[in-house]
Amino acid sequence: MNNTEKRHMGLKALNRVSNTGIYILLTVISVVWLIPFVFIVLQSFRVENTYQVGYVIPKQWGLQNYINLWNSDFKRWYLNTLIIALAAAVFQTIIQLCMSYTLSRFRFKLRGPLMRFMLILGMFPGMLTMIILYRVLSDLGLTQANAVPGLILVSVASSGMGYYVSKGFFDTIPKSLDEAARVDGATRLQVLYKIILPLAKPIVIYTILTAFMGPWGDYVFARYVAFGTSAGYNVAVGMYSWLTNDQINRMYTTFCAGGVIVAVPVTILFLCLQKYYVEGVTGGAVKG
Amino acid sequence: MKKTLALLLAAAMTVSLAACGGNNSSTTTTAAAGETAAAATTGGQQETTAAAETQAAETQAAGAGSELAGTYDIVIWAPDAAVDLTKSQVDDFNSSNEYGITINATVEPVSEADAASNMITDVQAGGDLFFFAQDQLSRLIQAGAVSKLGTQAAEFARNSNNAASILAAQSGSDLYAYPLTADNGYFMYYDKSVVPEDHVDSLEDIIADCEAAGKNFSYELENAWYNAGVFFGTGCHSDWVTNDAGEFISIDDDFNSDKGLIAAKGIYKLVSSPIWVNSSNADFASGSAVVVTGTWNYATILEQLGDNFGVADLPSFNVDGTDYHIGSYSGCKLIGVKPQTDAVKGAAIQRLAQYLTNKECQLARFTEFGWGPSNKEALADPAVQADPTLSALNEQGSYAVPQPNIHGSWWDIAKVITTDVKATDGSDAALKACLEKYEESINAVFTMSDDVKNAFTVIGSINGDGWTLDLPMTAEGDVWTSNEAYEMEAGTEFKCRQGKAWDVAYPADNFVVETAGTYYVQLDAATGEVTLVPAS
Repeated sequence: MNNTEKRHMGLKALNRVSNTGIYILLTVISVVWLIPFVFIVLQSFRVENTYQVGYVIPKQWGLQNYINLWNSDFKRWYLNTLIIALAAAVFQTIIQLCMSYTLSRFRFKLRGPLMRFMLILGMFPGMLTMIILYRVLSDLGLTQANAVPGLILVSVASSGMGYYVSKGFFDTIPKSLDEAARVDGATRLQVLYKIILPLAKPIVIYTILTAFMGPWGDYVFARYVAFGTSAGYNVAVGMYSWLTNDQINRMYTTFCAGGVIVAVPVTILFLCLQKYYVEGVTGGAVKG
Repeated sequence: MKKTLALLLAAAMTVSLAACGGNNSSTTTTAAAGETAAAATTGGQQETTAAAETQAAETQAAGAGSELAGTYDIVIWAPDAAVDLTKSQVDDFNSSNEYGITINATVEPVSEADAASNMITDVQAGGDLFFFAQDQLSRLIQAGAVSKLGTQAAEFARNSNNAASILAAQSGSDLYAYPLTADNGYFMYYDKSVVPEDHVDSLEDIIADCEAAGKNFSYELENAWYNAGVFFGTGCHSDWVTNDAGEFISIDDDFNSDKGLIAAKGIYKLVSSPIWVNSSNADFASGSAVVVTGTWNYATILEQLGDNFGVADLPSFNVDGTDYHIGSYSGCKLIGVKPQTDAVKGAAIQRLAQYLTNKECQLARFTEFGWGPSNKEALADPAVQADPTLSALNEQGSYAVPQPNIHGSWWDIAKVITTDVKATDGSDAALKACLEKYEESINAVFTMSDDVKNAFTVIGSINGDGWTLDLPMTAEGDVWTSNEAYEMEAGTEFKCRQGKAWDVAYPADNFVVETAGTYYVQLDAATGEVTLVPAS
């Protein structure tokens, strides 16, 4: 008896040791992961000079960098990015959810070929089409200063093809619910927004978030479309233009402030919607 | 019955067509679109080159000036810092020019370093007048994004700017841009409290001082722009040859030589030290006591160092008792004008470009941003002469090599030398291996195969040729025979050389033909004996 008791205690102690080890490891990893973010936030409040220095804690604190930001083209870039991201979030979500609902609930000829076709089409890397898309946009007059509608068009145009995850999720909702609603006289559209969508909240939020994040962090295509015209830049392109040899010493801390401003709304969004986001990613993985 | 069958058949055909189309349609449409895009680009290029020619002619003809009168809307790409100054300079041009030109300019902030990649995206939508760094000239010419200067404009540019900046704006024998600055070089900033003034001439002393003080030495040697300077310092050269179309024809490079080995030893001295930092930023606030960089960091470094601010030309390093002063590239920034479909507008923009690169405008940029002028008169200005960074650049100038047009891939090939040298133990054999690897990569740019490198050719005054044409030979064992028989006069001279280079060539002195006749040239590569075989 005494013996077993002792061994029991030993296990507990062992558990505690291994837990402590794991927590120390996790703490170290999270500190390493957080350092760049803390660094950027601290640099954005440093006002004694504007170039890169070898220390982290500012010697003088202030808001000058944020004021500089306000006085630069950054406002315009931020607004551009916000417009593109919000428009993409709204339209892309609507199109994608309608598409998924159709493919999940309707049975029509060519449904299978259509799904396969979109799957194959989706396998072509988007970068391949960049030059052609640029030509098309340029002919429509949607480049440079008009880059914002152009970028919205590009990000919304192909959104129907991203139906897999949400279709998979819709497939898990019993069809008998639809049928019951239909018997009660609901139209197809009513079924979608009164029955399916409330049940599929995680996937809706996941769709909105991914649609928002795409244009928010876009650099390559945005730069290609808006080249050489400050009025059409998004934040990534605009802020990158501050990092050239002749500007970095003047703009470095302002750049950090810009980074903070860009990160804030996304961080808040994610913190609030984190629960759904995880559910959405895993929920749609059920085979449909 | 028949009708239904026919209908069914027709339907089946449509369906099968559509089904096939499922996979194919996307590829075919992409291909088609690609072709049109390509066609559009080439079409645009031809158009713009054509425009360039007419415009060059126009610039020559438009001496009278008054026919240029009018208002023109243009887009100017200038670096962010210079946007406001450029706007006011354009206003000055509008009020002062004698041609009656009014330029209505939108000035967009585009860095000089990005101008070419932005222009090449879409030449038609690009800036009409743009500031760019000289290394982009070839790309811009090839994309048809910059117009050739007419005779008068070229003469104006040649007369008013120094030789190095003209070289930078030149491809083949033509000028394609107006020199804007001649300060794109590098030299050494140092912290006087760490490195005493009498130590700045010796790389070894500076390294010792930095090591003693625990301070870093920032020198971006893992960048070909910087490490090539060390090779130039020991007498090496690396020249690319371009033709009038901006294409690269060949390279003449001797980094893989005894002189190059000395340079590699010099690089090893610094990169093997723990204080070396591969950077050209203003690093004095983050632990460096020496930074090799250019004028663009002057204001920041002056602020960082205050009273300890020091500036000098690059130091010398000592190998086997001889001092070698480290060299550098000197470069320029240029103003280019996009070819215009409207020749008169093009000529008007050329006038603006000439104005923006004249003495007054260059001096204004010097006063405001410290940009070193390329204009000869501006260079003689006392304020320019007294500027500490420009005088350091000037001192370094006697060791600097004007940066010619360089093949884009060279930068990536040459920067690897430093990385490789750092990984060695510093022995001659290991350093030599790094340079051999470099040479191999360079030769691969022109994809000279082993067959070509080993083959012998005849070169000389045959057929009245002036030693420019390599005539092919074919080997049977060690015996090489020319593919054709050539008519030779008495006194015709030639040599047989290997790999179109002079490292291996027979006979040692030129072969001189004694009796006129038609001969095959025969070479025994084992003995180096050259004989003439009469054609029967």
